[in-house]
Amino acid sequence: MNTVDRSCLPAVGPPALFRPPQLRHTRLTNGVDVFTATHHRAPVLTLKLLLPVGAADDPDNRHGLAALTGDILDEGTCQLTDVDLHKALTRIGAHLGIVVSSDATTLTLTTLAKHAREAVALLLDVVAHPRLSSDDIARVRDLRCNRILQMRQVPSAVADRVFMKSVYGSHPYGHLSIGTHTALSEIDASAVTEFHSRCYQATGWTLVAVGDMSHDRLLETVQSEIDRVVQGASSSPFVPGSRLQEPPTVKNRLVFVPRPDAVQSEVRLGHPGVSRISEDYHALLVLNMVLGGQFVSRINLNLREDKGYTYGAHTSFDFRVGRGPFSFRSSVQTSVTAAAIREAIQEIQDIQTTRLPTSHELRVARDALTRGFPRGLETASQVARVGTTLALHGLPVDEMDNFVQRVMAVDLDRVVAAAGTHLHPDKLVTVVVGSADEVLPSLETLGLGTPYLVE
Amino acid sequence: MHVSYEKQVLSNGLEVILHSDRSCPIVAVNLWYHVGSKNEQLGRTGFAHLFEHLMFEGSAHHDRGYFAPLQEVGGALNGSTNADRTNYWEVVPTGALERALWMESDRMGFLLSALTPEKFETQRKVVLNERRQNYENRPYGMVSMVLMPALFPHGHPYRWNTIGEPSDLMAASFNDVRQFFSTYYHPGNASLVLAGDIDVVQGFDLVERYFGPISKGPPRPAVDVSDTPVDCEQRLLLEDRVDLARVYLSWRSPALFCEGDAGLDLLATILTAGKSSRLYQRLVRDGQLALDVSAGQSSREIDGIFSIVATAVPGGSLTEIEKVIADELYQLQHDGPTDDEMERSKMTVEADFAYRVQSLGDFGGRSDQLNAYNVYLDNPGYFDADLARYLQINSAAIQSLAQRYLTDQRRVALSVIPVGADSAIGLPHSTRVVVG
Repeated sequence: MNTVDRSCLPAVGPPALFRPPQLRHTRLTNGVDVFTATHHRAPVLTLKLLLPVGAADDPDNRHGLAALTGDILDEGTCQLTDVDLHKALTRIGAHLGIVVSSDATTLTLTTLAKHAREAVALLLDVVAHPRLSSDDIARVRDLRCNRILQMRQVPSAVADRVFMKSVYGSHPYGHLSIGTHTALSEIDASAVTEFHSRCYQATGWTLVAVGDMSHDRLLETVQSEIDRVVQGASSSPFVPGSRLQEPPTVKNRLVFVPRPDAVQSEVRLGHPGVSRISEDYHALLVLNMVLGGQFVSRINLNLREDKGYTYGAHTSFDFRVGRGPFSFRSSVQTSVTAAAIREAIQEIQDIQTTRLPTSHELRVARDALTRGFPRGLETASQVARVGTTLALHGLPVDEMDNFVQRVMAVDLDRVVAAAGTHLHPDKLVTVVVGSADEVLPSLETLGLGTPYLVE
Repeated sequence: MHVSYEKQVLSNGLEVILHSDRSCPIVAVNLWYHVGSKNEQLGRTGFAHLFEHLMFEGSAHHDRGYFAPLQEVGGALNGSTNADRTNYWEVVPTGALERALWMESDRMGFLLSALTPEKFETQRKVVLNERRQNYENRPYGMVSMVLMPALFPHGHPYRWNTIGEPSDLMAASFNDVRQFFSTYYHPGNASLVLAGDIDVVQGFDLVERYFGPISKGPPRPAVDVSDTPVDCEQRLLLEDRVDLARVYLSWRSPALFCEGDAGLDLLATILTAGKSSRLYQRLVRDGQLALDVSAGQSSREIDGIFSIVATAVPGGSLTEIEKVIADELYQLQHDGPTDDEMERSKMTVEADFAYRVQSLGDFGGRSDQLNAYNVYLDNPGYFDADLARYLQINSAAIQSLAQRYLTDQRRVALSVIPVGADSAIGLPHSTRVVVG
């Protein structure tokens, strides 16, 4: 047997031919979009139901309403009490998760494929015929208010909340889904009922079913249950709120939240980024890999591996329906807070001026994205997530088939141009949650103005 | 859930398990070293985990970061340390498998000559930052620092936490690093799984080629356990930077794969899994005493911990919460779970077994489970037998486990209350504790 040549790393074979699991799209006569895909890895079925309503559709002064409505869905249906509903779910070994993001409400139900029909029926009942009892609404609302209280002691949660508020102000992206204590505590049952009847119309639904079943059986199962629950297309379809409006101009570029005696500072930097349907989407994926999107990115290597300031530092573009944020996130040692911020800003500046992405970095970033692509489509739930993404952003059903080619087509010119167009070092908003005594004086030296204090 | 595999042991002692599943062009590489924080010594805690960090800092023939060569070819990778084992994994596109094996074998066979005091210093800083971020600066983050010493007496290696004491980390010397590597990081103390898009014969050949020449190290030193369990209830009270009080009830319980651990998993499910569970209904839904409640059996190699945790609503009473929990335990000790609860909790477990084998790699995926079954039971294909352990449990068995393990005199009852709050918020007769 050959001995190993340790003088250099083994070369890597060409990327395997990989055809992503094929999603099939069907629009039912009642307006519901259905995506199905067969997946044989395990005897599992993942269902995702996407509704194009999210926290960005919260009415003013009702921040938290969309998420409360989502949370109340599994408190029983017209047919089943909450306890009976959850007994029915556990009887098929199901996990039901309900996530309300800014753009959408997504219910995910995972079960064994042998329970498909029962699972689809339960999922649809939960969305279409929730019980919405006033007692439950009050109880769940109070639970969520208390969760807001709890989150005040979680530095990373505080930083996220203040960051979005500081960057987006009164824009629909300016508040987190959970909302504010003041607004949420005043939401009553009628607001939830009204929101549900207005925003949960089946015309906008997308149901994704991926599992260990044939396309035909998946579609047949899903369709017969949808036909049972949904009668005819809605006459007054729900129109999502104004998340496409331009984010406002920022007043305070340096925001500080005191946390006495904190041993670390939570740091966020950022500004509005771009929508998912931006033409620069693939170029920005590549750019972010170079800047702060993976362990070997410039920012993590600098702050963690070179300086030892932090356990990790990352950047991301949050590609939403509207202009989601570009952000830098890290939790850094208190004593080096200002230094870490300075380094992060410098990296963001440099990548569009003095240290443009190199061809080596470009190659590495593209390879990481394209060769790593099959890894992201391994499980039924990963494939199902593709379906909801396609539906939310109105992307073509073969979007994933073209992913590798589009990333490989990003050349240096495009990645440099994307950095120049979409990174704005001079407009970065900086949020720090940390010890005022130890951190505030040094923040004054950053040249970002006087820190604006938020409690 | 059948997972096919083949196993071989190399002449240097490395155990190798191959699992072929060619549905996606990726291969999961999963390597366990049978060493964790329970192999540490008092005064040198945190070392196994600190060492895990050093494994990513380069080896003799690749004296640079470990992430770059694998991330740039589309791989994902990570490692983790717990009380019993340290694992390292890569998930790579099929064409990059040899590179992953080259890297893993280089750090198994040739790490020490590339280790420098500078790397050691930087990673010590990173670990101290990790501790600050995930424990000190996180609400309720210091709880395990109180619970573990209360549950486990001096002389038991589960007494300390894997993240370690800062003073111990600062006291660790560069020489300790070398010693630790020689003792624990060698083929005779490791188990390697390749899972995914690979031919079994070819896989064994590759492993032999890359790992075969590495020499076997010394036998793993036995772990000293001196254990005189505490036989009276301990009530403790900790102030923390939190808004809401929380109670932790903990008991020592059976070790992983020992009689009773599966039953206690089911019991935890019956108590708190989902909104139809007993304690969710009584504490969160009906009583509105708690914001959340969870229970779990944490089964480790030589011992286990069963715990029930509930967060009080603002102004809520931990005493009231504790009464409800005690009442439900009393009922289970007297009547056992209902047939419906048994049936539903078993369905939950059966489904969870299927969900866990969806991923080939990552923490907890197929490759990690093959290694767990191999390292702890010498039986990588234990999946179905493991599930069968759960499915044959009846209500009477759970009742008797509750009677045997979940008694008041065996438990630690920890109240966590907001800094400066009236200690009456906590359970009565609690002893105040302080952690550094």
